[in-house]
Formats: sequence, structure tokens, C-alpha cells
Amino acid sequence: MTRPWLGALALILLGPGVEALEPPPEGVPASELAERAEDNLRSDRTYFEARMKVESPRLSSARSVRFRSWEDRGGKRSFIRIHEPAKDVGTGFLKRGSNLWMYIPRVERTMRIPPSMMLQSWMGSDFTNDDLVRESSEVDDYDHRWVGVDPAFAAAGGRRAYVIEYLPHEDAPVVWGRIVAWIAAEGYAPLRQEFFDEDGVKLRELVFSDHRQVGSRLLPHRWTLTPLDKPGHLTEIELLEAKFDVEIDETIFTRRYLEKEFRR
Amino acid sequence: MSELRLAWRNVGRNPRRTALTVAATVFAVLLVVDFTALTRGMHEKMIEDSVRLRSGHAMLAAPGYLAERSLDYFIELDGAMIARLDAVSEAEGWAPRVVGFALVSQDVTSQGVALLGVDPRREASVTSLPNRIVEGSFLSADAERGAREIVLGKRLAERIGADVGDQVLVYGVAYTLESAYELFTVVGLARVPNAKLERSMAVVAIADLQEFLAFGDRVSEIAVLASSAERTEPLRQALVSNVDGLVPAPRVHPWPEVMPDLEQLLILDRAGLYIMLAILVVVVGFGILNTILMAVLERQRELGVMLALGLRPAAIFRVVLLESFLLAGLGLVLGLGLAIPIGLWMEANPIEMGEQLAGVSELMGVEPVIRSNLEFSTVWKSALVILVVAMAAAVYPAFRAGRANPVDALRSL
Repeated sequence: MTRPWLGALALILLGPGVEALEPPPEGVPASELAERAEDNLRSDRTYFEARMKVESPRLSSARSVRFRSWEDRGGKRSFIRIHEPAKDVGTGFLKRGSNLWMYIPRVERTMRIPPSMMLQSWMGSDFTNDDLVRESSEVDDYDHRWVGVDPAFAAAGGRRAYVIEYLPHEDAPVVWGRIVAWIAAEGYAPLRQEFFDEDGVKLRELVFSDHRQVGSRLLPHRWTLTPLDKPGHLTEIELLEAKFDVEIDETIFTRRYLEKEFRR
Repeated sequence: MSELRLAWRNVGRNPRRTALTVAATVFAVLLVVDFTALTRGMHEKMIEDSVRLRSGHAMLAAPGYLAERSLDYFIELDGAMIARLDAVSEAEGWAPRVVGFALVSQDVTSQGVALLGVDPRREASVTSLPNRIVEGSFLSADAERGAREIVLGKRLAERIGADVGDQVLVYGVAYTLESAYELFTVVGLARVPNAKLERSMAVVAIADLQEFLAFGDRVSEIAVLASSAERTEPLRQALVSNVDGLVPAPRVHPWPEVMPDLEQLLILDRAGLYIMLAILVVVVGFGILNTILMAVLERQRELGVMLALGLRPAAIFRVVLLESFLLAGLGLVLGLGLAIPIGLWMEANPIEMGEQLAGVSELMGVEPVIRSNLEFSTVWKSALVILVVAMAAAVYPAFRAGRANPVDALRSL
């Protein structure tokens, strides 16, 4: 069901208010902005502890998941351990390159999640396994283009925001047709991202809020994802702790560690 | 009556030409009748196989389910619903299903599947699933809730390296969005004619799946079987009137809505058949036209004499039409005399396709057997078409014959 005119219509109705934007500043390439924004959220070796809340019309109260994650950006490795809810304690995810393994301690089984499952929900949230594995990079796999400058971006408390768009390379392993990003002019913190499919239909919005200073970074502590094709659904990640450029034990990124720590 | 005798005599006057024309008609009748029967049988088999694999002739589901097939769309299978379903006399049987998406793994290798929850007791009344087990057995009908038995497609089992007796891990997201994971015991492996389906096929007891997905007493779809594909429409009507007034009322989807691909394939195939048959019939029509026209032109003198003797042109017209009718009728009688026994024989003796064709039929999701289905309607419709064409072909020669000039005819005597 491809209806380009629907996409165009969506763009007109929901798209950025392009006409209200100021022209982009001279001498700042869009790709550098994208890089800065990415660096604001990640470092070479990053540790997060976070709580994820999932809201859905199916649920009377939000589902809450607490997890810790370690990421080695250069080595394309990451590790996630679930600490809440009780049912999922000890469940682990290990990503190495494009491989994703999941360990379930209650049944003492590890399984590799096949590439065909990458667009399935992660832990019941609106994030997908692909978001987790993120084989693609918002810096390397996209061309970046200026859209303009929003002098008072309301959604981020009236901050001055740079608006750029990401257009995927032909052969990049990317699921989106286009991403539009709002990046704080001060500190380059991500403020908002809108994800479009190849027909130009906006599928989801990711809003970054609760920006707090962490070291040199103005880090958004609340990431709110709204899938637009599923009314009433919402996933919110709240950072409880964030450490950048930390030492991470090499053994964390192994199958053995994945299965060892919580083996009963 | 004398016209009939006249026509009959004319038909017999050139036995060789008559025999050839009749033979062409016989051949056409044979092809039209038996080919239609064969195609009809094949189509019915395709429908039947597909319908019995999953959907039933009609499927009940919540509005919107067919497009999304997610847990957001469901039917509450309560006592009122069961009573209404049991009250549908057009239904041969019905079976509830829960459909969920899950990962199945034996070792580290996992595979995404459409996890199908069925009621083992009811399933046999609707689908062929229980008969498709090639190793082990189907889900036991008397297993307690929580027995957690699972039947896997053979290809799926091979892919993940599971065997009968093994415990496979099933992982998915429950209705409550919680993680759902359980070990299920493989009790049987099934083969279905559709390879793709077999690679992602996993069947468990509906109660186990409802518990696994925290789905309560909800079901995703209810498959209802009619006595045959032809009874789909009456079944649909009966279902619609029986679930009418339920809140929320489920939708009734006849099988073409559930499997639009299959329906399109059949329409295309039928169109191809009809075009071929139409060409065949037209060719036979021209054959008859040729015969009759020749006969008329040869008999200019004779016709002239008859006109001179006082026979009306209309009578001559009728005589020639009758000749054509007799020719076609003869061809029809002989043709049907051959076609019907052959059709019946093919119906009684389905043709097993060879190994090479088995691949093709597997692709299309049908068992490699061609069974013909000779319907009375096929016979009389074919006969009618051929008679009409024969008569139409004779109009021009008959017209020519009626306009023979008695003066010219007599002069050349």
C-alpha cells in the first residue's frame, strides 16, 4: 500500500514548519552537527542504567523495565542486563556486530535473534530489536542536509534548535526513508527526531527532554518514543545513571558472561 | 416432420464430410467437458486444501484483524458465542484459534513463527492439520492445560535442529506486553504442501497459548467449515445472521477475503481456460459453417427445383438449420457419450502427478493430485454452447439457401 500523496499530505500537515525557520548558519556542515548530536548521547565506551516505561491501551498501568547497558561503540559490541520486572531479572542481551543473542535465565537458554526478527518489539516496548542492535549509524549511513534553524523550539522549552535531515545511503542497512532531527544550538543535545518511511509517512517521534549537565554533555534524561501508527502506545526511557568513556571489562561482551552471571 | 427427414437425408448424403464435422464436434465436446471438469476439480482441490489448512470456508474475526493480525483484535469466546456457532446448521464444524508471533529455538538457532493455538478436539472437524503429522503425533486431545505440547513444521524442526521429544524454547511478547517464554515439548512434526508455511509453522493447544500470551479466553479467529466450497455463501449468510447483535460483532470473512491471492489465482486460471475453450468452440463453429455452406452451394440446383416446386424460402431456411442441428446433435451425443464416462473415470481415478510437478504444486500449496469434478451443469452448459454455436454457424448458409434462384437453377438443368 504505497500512497505517495498520503506521505506528501502527512508532510504538509505534520512536517516541520519549514517556512518558520531561519536559514542555516554559514560554515557548519550538517554532517558535523549529526556527529556532535550522536556524541552527546554516546561515547566510545558508555554505561547507562535506565528505566523504560511502556504505555499501551492494553494496559491499565504502564509496564516498567529497569536495565543496565554497556556499549563499546568502536567494537560494535553492547551488553544489556534486565533488572526489573521480577519475571525478567537476569535476562541479558549481547550484541556483537550484527549478531544479537538473548539469554533467559529461568529456562537457562540462549538464543540468537535472527535478522528477520529485528523489527519486532524489544521487551514489549515500541523500540525494536533493530533500535537495540543499531547496526546502522546515524552518522555513517546517512547523508545529512540542513533544513534550517528554529529560533525558539517550543518542544524543548524555547531553545534555539538546528534542524537537519538524515537521508540514508542507497545500500545502508537502514529501515527509515528519512529522519528529521532537532539539535540544540547550544551543547548539540538532541531535542527531537521524527522518523519517516520510504513513502514519506511519519511513523514515529522521539522526543528528548529533561536535559541535565553530565560532565561536558547536556544530556537528555528522558527519551519518549511515540509510534504514530499505534494510537495510545508510548515508550519512555528515563536515564537513571549515565557514565561516558568508562572502562569496561572485556569479558562482559562474551556469551559466557551472558550466561554465567545469573546461572542458577 | 418432412423437413426433418429432408435434413436427415442431406446430412447422410456426404457421409465422409459429415463424419469429419461430427468428429470435430466430438473432439470439442470432449475437450470442453473434460477440461472444465478437470479444472473445476483442481480448483476445488486448491480451495479445499487451503481452506482445510487454516481458514475454513468462512472465518470469524474482529473488525480490522485481517489487515493487522495482531493480538489487539480478538473475539471473546464465551458461552453465548459458542451457542450461536453451534446453532449454525450450515456449518460442518468450527474451531477457534489464537495466533501469536513468537521465536522458537532448540539450541541457539531460533526462528520466527506464527504460533497457532488450536483446540485439539475441534481441530479435526475443520482442518486437515491432525492428518499432516509425519512423525510423532498431534496434540493430545485430553492433555491438561499446561501440558505444553507443540507440533512443528518438519522444515522448521530441521532448521532449528529439533526432534520429537525435544524441549523447545518459545519466546514472545504477551498481550500484557510482558515477556513470554516457556519450554514446550515437541510431540509431532507436520508436513504441509506449502514449504514457506512449513518453515514457520508451530501449533500448540489453545489453552496453553492463551496462558502463554496472557490472553484470557480471547481468540483471534474462528474457522468455520461448510460442506463444500460452493456452500460458502449460504454459510456466510447463516453466520452473519447468527452473530448479528453480538457486541462487539465479529466480521464474517468468506475464504476469498482471507486468501485473496488464491482467489485471484483461480480467477486468472479460469479466464485462461475460458479463452482456450472459446477459441476451440469458435473453430468448431467455423468447421460447421464450412460444411453446411459447402453443402448448400453444391445443392443450388436442387434447392432451386424445390423452390420452383413451391417450397417456401422459410422452409428451406429451416431445413438447413436442422441439418446443422443434426450435425451438432450427432457430435454432441457421441461427444458426451465419450466425455461423460471419461470425466467420471477421471473423477474416480485422481491423477498422481510426477515428482517434477510435485514441486510446482507444493509452491502453490496444493497436494500433487489432479482430481476431476464432472458437474451436470458443466455438461448441459457445454451442450448448450455447442448447439448455439452450430445454429449460429448455419444461419448464413441457410439464408443463402433460401435465396437460391429457381430460374437460374432450372436453366442450368
